[in-house]
Amino acid sequence: MTNQIVPRSNSTGPIPPVEYPVDQVVFTPPIDIFETADGLVLQADLPGVSSESLELQIQDNKLSLFGRVSLTIPPEARLIHQEYQVGHFLRSFILSDEVDHERISAKLNQGVLEVILPRLSKPEPRRIPIQIV
Amino acid sequence: MPVFRWGHAWNPIRDLEREVDQLLAKVSLFHGIRFGQQYPPVNVYELDEEFLLTAELPGTRAEELEVLISNGVLTIKGRRNGPEGIADDRFRRQERPRGPWQRSLTLPDHIQEEKLAAEFTNGVLCIRLPKASATQPRQIPVTNGNPG
Repeated sequence: MTNQIVPRSNSTGPIPPVEYPVDQVVFTPPIDIFETADGLVLQADLPGVSSESLELQIQDNKLSLFGRVSLTIPPEARLIHQEYQVGHFLRSFILSDEVDHERISAKLNQGVLEVILPRLSKPEPRRIPIQIV
Repeated sequence: MPVFRWGHAWNPIRDLEREVDQLLAKVSLFHGIRFGQQYPPVNVYELDEEFLLTAELPGTRAEELEVLISNGVLTIKGRRNGPEGIADDRFRRQERPRGPWQRSLTLPDHIQEEKLAAEFTNGVLCIRLPKASATQPRQIPVTNGNPG
């Protein structure tokens, strides 16, 4: 199941000390999905991910995002107090046929990814003339 | 409009999921509150010259972020914004925390408060706390007390 919510491990109990740099941990980012007049909008929290380090892919009807976190902390810095873990972000979604795959667009602003999923515009009903033979 | 299919979910299940999401969102604004932790969680790194304090705050606008320092207490406050102008019944999923937050932290004594600097990059706040240069030990002369 791809859309299961995995709690970030900072939320339970004490965190074992970890070595700097970024732990090779992958989190499921929290998302919002809401409907608009034109389709759906998906927003995901990806703190520490830049547009260069974000991969957004559609294959068949699966939309997947992978955000690689890059810290601006110098590598010689020692972690002396830790309340949250740093890791990359991965999540995928199954799109229905009603999304116009060609018109999907995305932007990333201060750690929030927004993906616009426009509804496929249905062609107008067409009257078929009947020939009299 | 069924744009997302959640496994084999039919509508009632999807509605239930949404209801539960919204209920949870009401009960716990932030994970931190739910687990009795302060929000936002912070990490502190040490370098030779300074400490670095980081916090993940996606969805916060830099201009809405306040960093204050007074008498050795660092206060950070701001607000995490959700989508604006969207009615609750438009949401299919609502997992991102939102709302105003504030946290105060006591700094170690040897920080140069006036040289504190903060930057906000890709939703991560990083506050630089330069260490005060170690003061030289000072010799205190001891004189003989006048006995008479």
